[in-house]
Amino acid sequence: MEIYLPIAEMSVHWLVLLGMGAAVGFLSGMFGVGGGFLLTPLLIFYGVPAEVAVATTASHLTASSMSGAVAQWRRRVIDFKMAGVMLAGGLAGTVLGVQLFALLRRVGQADIVISAGYVILLGSVGGLMLNESLRTLRAAKAATPGAAAERHNWIHGLPLKMRFRTSRLYISVIPPIVLGLIVGILSSILGVGGGFVIVPAMIYLLRMPTSVVVGTSLVQIVFVTAMTTILHAASDFSVDIVLALFLILGGVIGAQYGVRIAARMKGEMLRLLLAVLVLAVGARLLYGLVITPRELYTVAVGTP
Amino acid sequence: MRLLLALFALCLVATGACAEDLVSGLSQDQIQITSNYAGTDIVVFGAIESPETSQAEAPRDVVVVVRGPDADFAVRRKARVAGIWINRDKISLYGMPAYYYVASTRPLAKIAADSTLSQYQIGVSNLRPKGESTRSPRKGEPFRLAAIRLRERQKLYTDAPAGVEFLGYSLFRVRVPVPASVATGEYAVQVYLFRDGNVVSAQTTPLFVDQIGLERRLFRFAHGRPFWYGLATVAMAILLGWGSSFLFRRQA
Repeated sequence: MEIYLPIAEMSVHWLVLLGMGAAVGFLSGMFGVGGGFLLTPLLIFYGVPAEVAVATTASHLTASSMSGAVAQWRRRVIDFKMAGVMLAGGLAGTVLGVQLFALLRRVGQADIVISAGYVILLGSVGGLMLNESLRTLRAAKAATPGAAAERHNWIHGLPLKMRFRTSRLYISVIPPIVLGLIVGILSSILGVGGGFVIVPAMIYLLRMPTSVVVGTSLVQIVFVTAMTTILHAASDFSVDIVLALFLILGGVIGAQYGVRIAARMKGEMLRLLLAVLVLAVGARLLYGLVITPRELYTVAVGTP
Repeated sequence: MRLLLALFALCLVATGACAEDLVSGLSQDQIQITSNYAGTDIVVFGAIESPETSQAEAPRDVVVVVRGPDADFAVRRKARVAGIWINRDKISLYGMPAYYYVASTRPLAKIAADSTLSQYQIGVSNLRPKGESTRSPRKGEPFRLAAIRLRERQKLYTDAPAGVEFLGYSLFRVRVPVPASVATGEYAVQVYLFRDGNVVSAQTTPLFVDQIGLERRLFRFAHGRPFWYGLATVAMAILLGWGSSFLFRRQA
């Protein structure tokens, strides 16, 4: 049965939508990532207008990170104080990002900035991950324990220090706020949760215990993506609730199978696969920006 | 069929008024599109009443135009900047029809001269905006043509050179496809009778297009109360996310 998406203004078979949600849910369950960086490009490739893809993916991420956050909350491994501090920056970043997004839309450059942003983001993150996983694979073969050099952290020199009991940290609130701000902007412009940016930053920069990092970042992502969804809906009417519903339903189903597959695979192998996937998506987007388009013109109705 | 008979009866009764003339009607004067499928059809019926003139006389042609409400188009053209294709030039076309369908008995070029067609804005390529954001027509022309081309691709502008179907000598019928993404509002159904390349009779009937169904309601919700719509989407996402975490736990 064809379903008409009221905001994207296109008719799509419901199985296609469910399948897309399931595929992304499967991958996010398998790799333990939110999947926004896969879902937004996938929707754009399928013909969903870029701004609708970004805004609707945000609501999909609210659902998937909520699901993860509840599971972490049961294990009591969430630093709510840290999440709150990061959110202060995150919400400000969202407001800023949505305004920037509306400006880009007005001047007709939203599509290009989204694609270019993804190429940069996926290229750098994918490159880093590929490099890292290749190194660990090689290191595992050579059986040499990789000794991470313990450098002095400049973070500890910053003012406005605060005690975070759950994370057993006493650090300045500036880095978490800035981190939140960056993720808020990324979320509202590119439709990503930003887990792949904050998780490494929380571990290596803030030196938070790895056990609380996942739960804390998920709580922050729930709120930032929820805020992104509401602000996009209010400022440029680009959230498609029907699209969101089917993507979430598919995602819930897919994620369960992904988690099961992941349990049977080696961690390094998974990371290598994810790196290749991220780079492939980035390369496809870059290709779209560089090749001569078949149609040079676009028409937007009602926005003279 | 009942409608056809009604039309027929109308003309038999009012032959005087209809002589050398045209009567037409619509299957509905108000259509409600349920948007959960690919679209809908409206049917334009009509009859030409010219009983005294012989059939072999000058060629007569019927042209049916369905024109949607006016809209403003922002047309952008991409250009290569530092190896990347970005939107560069923009021209606004004010007052272009949001939807346009023209059906005729023969290709339009064979029915009348370009100047006549252009005067009545008959034919997709003769659609002109009521205003442009540029003063130079030479600069605006490629943008106008591109807008028409893109609308044609979306089936929102259509030329149907054999779209008028004659049922016998004087009765005709046109089936107008309306895609689901069509704009709502007041449409105009214009029926023209051409003889020897001139319009000898014309008739305009208004048609109200409204979309109904859940999807349309959601669209109105999204545009009418955007904040609450966003909140509703988030509430749905949070509930589904929460629910799925229970699903996980039960299986674990």
